[in-house]
Amino acid sequence: MRRLVWIPVTAGGLAFAAILLYAAISALKPGGEVLAVPIEWWPSRFEWHNLRLPFEETPFARYYANSVFVGVTVTLLNIVTCTLAGYSFSKFSYPGRNVAFVVVLATLMVPLEVIYVPLYALIYDLGWVNSFAGLIIPAGTSAFGIFLMRQAIDSVPDELLEAARLDGAGVIRTLLTIIGPLVRGPMAALALFIFLMNWDSHLWPLLVASDDDHRTLPVGLAAMQANNLGASGIPMMMAAAVLALLPTVVLFLSLQKRFVEGVAMSAGLR
Amino acid sequence: MTTTTARPVRVPGSSRAPGRRRRVHGRDLVGAALSLPALLLFAFFAIYPGLRVFYLSLFDYSLTAPPEFVGLDNFRFLAEDPRFRQAVLNSLFYTVGTYLPALALALALAVVLRRRMRGLGWVRLLYFLPVATSWVAISVVWRLVLHPDGLLNETLHIDVNWLTSSSTARWALVIMGIWKETGFFLILFLAGLARMPEDVHEAALVDGANTWQRFWRVTFPLLKPITAICSVIAVIRGFQAFSPQVVLTGGAFDTEVVNLFVYKTAFESARMGRASAVAVLMFLLLIAVTLVQLRVFRRNDV
Repeated sequence: MRRLVWIPVTAGGLAFAAILLYAAISALKPGGEVLAVPIEWWPSRFEWHNLRLPFEETPFARYYANSVFVGVTVTLLNIVTCTLAGYSFSKFSYPGRNVAFVVVLATLMVPLEVIYVPLYALIYDLGWVNSFAGLIIPAGTSAFGIFLMRQAIDSVPDELLEAARLDGAGVIRTLLTIIGPLVRGPMAALALFIFLMNWDSHLWPLLVASDDDHRTLPVGLAAMQANNLGASGIPMMMAAAVLALLPTVVLFLSLQKRFVEGVAMSAGLR
Repeated sequence: MTTTTARPVRVPGSSRAPGRRRRVHGRDLVGAALSLPALLLFAFFAIYPGLRVFYLSLFDYSLTAPPEFVGLDNFRFLAEDPRFRQAVLNSLFYTVGTYLPALALALALAVVLRRRMRGLGWVRLLYFLPVATSWVAISVVWRLVLHPDGLLNETLHIDVNWLTSSSTARWALVIMGIWKETGFFLILFLAGLARMPEDVHEAALVDGANTWQRFWRVTFPLLKPITAICSVIAVIRGFQAFSPQVVLTGGAFDTEVVNLFVYKTAFESARMGRASAVAVLMFLLLIAVTLVQLRVFRRNDV
């Protein structure tokens, strides 16, 4: 009886994954077979050349490089700012500390979607439109990252820090040599999650960096899509979409435990 | 009493004693400074724009000219604008249509997939995969899936032109949304179930409760806090939706959601003030819905 449940559950899972498989195979099909009726599951021959089309016909390489650059920079910035702030809120006491922490948590309630108009006006006034600064700096920290790092650093015993202090270690050296190694796990989950979120980010990059030199993958893909609506553009668009999916899917497959942690953390479920 | 005494020696942990005034030491000042990079970023790029959105909602503002005060005109305009009303309805349709099934599906799957069993990790993984993808890239893929000769029509043996009319385009977005989001909530439910004490279940088992009773009487009530978090997140994500609508339909055929309406109002019609007014309404709505949801879930708590 119990085994019967497995059949629909497994079938459903396969159906979920089939869509990604369909995309991957379609990206390698000869143009005429992509929309063949009845559906051709397996191409008569694999057109590996399709994968080169986006690079040859659009500035796809540029979008890719921009996405990697922005994603890595934003992730590193978050690791630094969130760890420092988490350390500060956890292990020091000074007036205003708790107020500052509550204010940070309150910003969790307000999604970007609510503030992006004045935020854009600010970036415009700063002269950061169509610049990497506009893409990177506003995303340089995150409330849930600070919350997470504070939680993680809270679990480091004070006695350990006191011992380090007696040995003459300063505030920063204690962070680097004692705390850092102990909170590597949460840091990695945070890094992965920030990178994935940034890779997915569409609305903000569309606003602040929509010229060809600064476009990230989501913005570039959406623009390519609008220019290639005809059937002839389908193999190229599939190749582009699959190439854009590849890094995060591979990251997910290799680091799924951390990935799942990251998602659960984002909801405060830890 | 005021004679000079030796500087007090800090005892480990004493800095965290509540309710005691004490001198701020140099070390603590360094510690305070460590939060500055993050706090400055928040001040400039979250708090300031967050406050300014209320201010701007009372102005006519086009970015290039100085803001001109118009009072509540922006809100009055929105109250009478049929396109805005439709956008709100479309967002509601998308949010309810996508997230109610996704939550139900995720909950049902979580109960089955929580067990430790061979091969189960792989099945879980299949449902998680869409969560690791990006909305724009996956929307490009779904355009092909939804094509009249695409995967969906061909496997179901139907003939629907999904993206060319209101009656189907909004459903297309919902179908895709369920596919993309179910795994996300599945992760949250599984995380919640993993923290659930196992002995409660065993006690119910010993008491002779069947699978169905165990779910409704034990698992589901214990899952309530997580269900609350999930439903709050679901509403926020639903109203944040932007990319799938842009890529699949550009907002045509009754798929123009609130967020897309804000974008077009601010950046295509250059009405930053009016767009801010929508953002203010969206903010109030999200806060209200969040409070109501948390209340409902708390009242029924066991």
